[in-house]
Amino acid sequence: MTPDTSEQNTRLWARPLNWLETKGDAVFAYVLLAPAFLLLAVVAFYPLVRTFEFSLREDAIRSADPFGAFVGLDNYEALLTGEALLPQQFLDLTFETPILQQALFVTLAFAILSVLFETLIGFGQALIIDKEFYGRRWVRVAIIIPYAIPIVIQGMIFYLMFSPRVGFATEFMQSLGLFGSNPLSSTTESFFIVLVADVWKTSAFMALLILAGLQSIDRQLYDVARVTGASPWQRFKYITLPLIAPALLVAMLFRTMDAMRIYGLIDSTAGCQTVPSMSCLVVTAFNESRRWATASAVAFLTAVTIGVIVLVYLIGLRDSESGMT
Amino acid sequence: MSESEPEHPDLAAQERSEEPDLDRGIVEAWAAKMISNPDRAYKASFYVATIFFLVTTLFPFYWLFMVAITPSNSIGDVGVLTPGGFNPEAFIDIFVGFGIPFHRYIFNSFLIATVSTVLVLFVASLAGYVFGRLRFRGKTPLLLIVLVVSFFPPAAFFIPLNRLFNQNFDVLRPLLADGSLFNTPFAIMIPVSALYLPLSIFILMTFYSQIPDGLEDAARVEGTTRLGALFRVIVPLSAPGVATAGVLTFITVYNEYFFSSLMTSGDPQKWAPMLEGILAFRGQYEVLFNLMAAASIVAVLPVAILVIVAQEKIVSGLTAGALKE
Repeated sequence: MTPDTSEQNTRLWARPLNWLETKGDAVFAYVLLAPAFLLLAVVAFYPLVRTFEFSLREDAIRSADPFGAFVGLDNYEALLTGEALLPQQFLDLTFETPILQQALFVTLAFAILSVLFETLIGFGQALIIDKEFYGRRWVRVAIIIPYAIPIVIQGMIFYLMFSPRVGFATEFMQSLGLFGSNPLSSTTESFFIVLVADVWKTSAFMALLILAGLQSIDRQLYDVARVTGASPWQRFKYITLPLIAPALLVAMLFRTMDAMRIYGLIDSTAGCQTVPSMSCLVVTAFNESRRWATASAVAFLTAVTIGVIVLVYLIGLRDSESGMT
Repeated sequence: MSESEPEHPDLAAQERSEEPDLDRGIVEAWAAKMISNPDRAYKASFYVATIFFLVTTLFPFYWLFMVAITPSNSIGDVGVLTPGGFNPEAFIDIFVGFGIPFHRYIFNSFLIATVSTVLVLFVASLAGYVFGRLRFRGKTPLLLIVLVVSFFPPAAFFIPLNRLFNQNFDVLRPLLADGSLFNTPFAIMIPVSALYLPLSIFILMTFYSQIPDGLEDAARVEGTTRLGALFRVIVPLSAPGVATAGVLTFITVYNEYFFSSLMTSGDPQKWAPMLEGILAFRGQYEVLFNLMAAASIVAVLPVAILVIVAQEKIVSGLTAGALKE
């Protein structure tokens, strides 16, 4: 029985496969790309278009369909002027600022600061794993491990550290006069906790990409520089930095995109009410107040913000590459 | 220049450092040594930096373990380096006590990550083959679209996807109880597979493009179809690349937060993943700190082992995937 069915199966597959054989490269390429683009269409293209469409509708909190009549750009206007009715419970940022601007500020500040610190620390880590020394393999594992751990566990570690009952960090920061007694319910203090947690986890990513850049540099350049009497700092400034600039920019682009979508780390430590990022705002508006149209508008604005930053980076990257050649 | 002067400043420096100066303190003597011999200073600072990074990356795990072995009634006594008592039962309680079956959450996460990895590898193999080995019209724009998708925030896709997955499809009724994807593993697998597809496409594209054309041609002459050549010749020959893409996809899906936390109701019987399990210990009335820590350690073990075993793959995959883009 079994060989029979398998033969039938082969025959079943044979026809489309033979048909595919007779076609040119282009058709073959499109057929093979179909599954990938189908998946991307269902999960990315279609939802993005729908998000924009939803954002032009009215919030209908009580009706079965959460999207009401078409209202054009009213949701965006309400968001930008601060009239949008969103759960608002942010403690120490100025209350007059519309919630969207707060979220935008939090997201951008987080992205800029985290990428800045991750680049600096990642650079230090990369310079270390670039050297040959005994036990290098294990040092590299230790540096990568934070990058590979689940976000929820990263969140838990810092949640526990800063929980006043368990953790030592609150007491320590309090003794320095920097934090209050419950930092996880204060926006600014939580912001810094989330920042430190993110830098702890993702510096390794920067380190790996910078390392790849470092290892592609021709070592003879350094020998030449040494013979001409360049100091270590000069060697770094005139050889290392310009040669790894493209890799560094790409790494920073990736990290910026990732930092801009921060959600899980905030949700598992301080909570979205305390540190409002753009993604957080989408989820709270969606889950807690059932304002799906407003949530869609925020989601679309998040995508647009990220799109603009990608463009700026890509232009910068193109300039740095054309400047080099 | 008179003959009596030392020929070389370095020699002079060496002579000076060998002078016995007993009146200097230890620190001063050390500083003098460092100044006279800068290589040594670099080496010392290198070791200091290495130890600093080792401590900062590994200490949180050590401390998490201290919290996990502290009995819950003395949880406030956890120090920076010492536990507040000793009671390893937390590692059993997370599975059987308190009505939270943590093993079920872990199983769900493993299943979701494994199936997503297989799906991503299959779809990305087809696409990677096309982008890496074929020439056809529209290749660059299509590749650019794949890249752009990986930049968008999941929040921009979330609302329509949530709506879509909550709809009842009659077609799915034989497979799923109510015909909707919400609260099934598919609700997480589909979005995360699409989100992490681009990275695998870029990794596999690089590997597949390096296989010599002759090998593929030889297989074709032997009578296999083009698809047959892909899966019988190119994929096996690129085994390291496939393993790299597989390990990275498994880790990122296992670690994912956004869709994992929003696409199920949090019930372990309804395919809630590991992160819901960890957050479940932060209950409504009581926070089970030691269980949270123990659960985090258990959940981090699989990825930690993967990182140790496959570190070369992770390093090469991240750098190849990112820098290609």
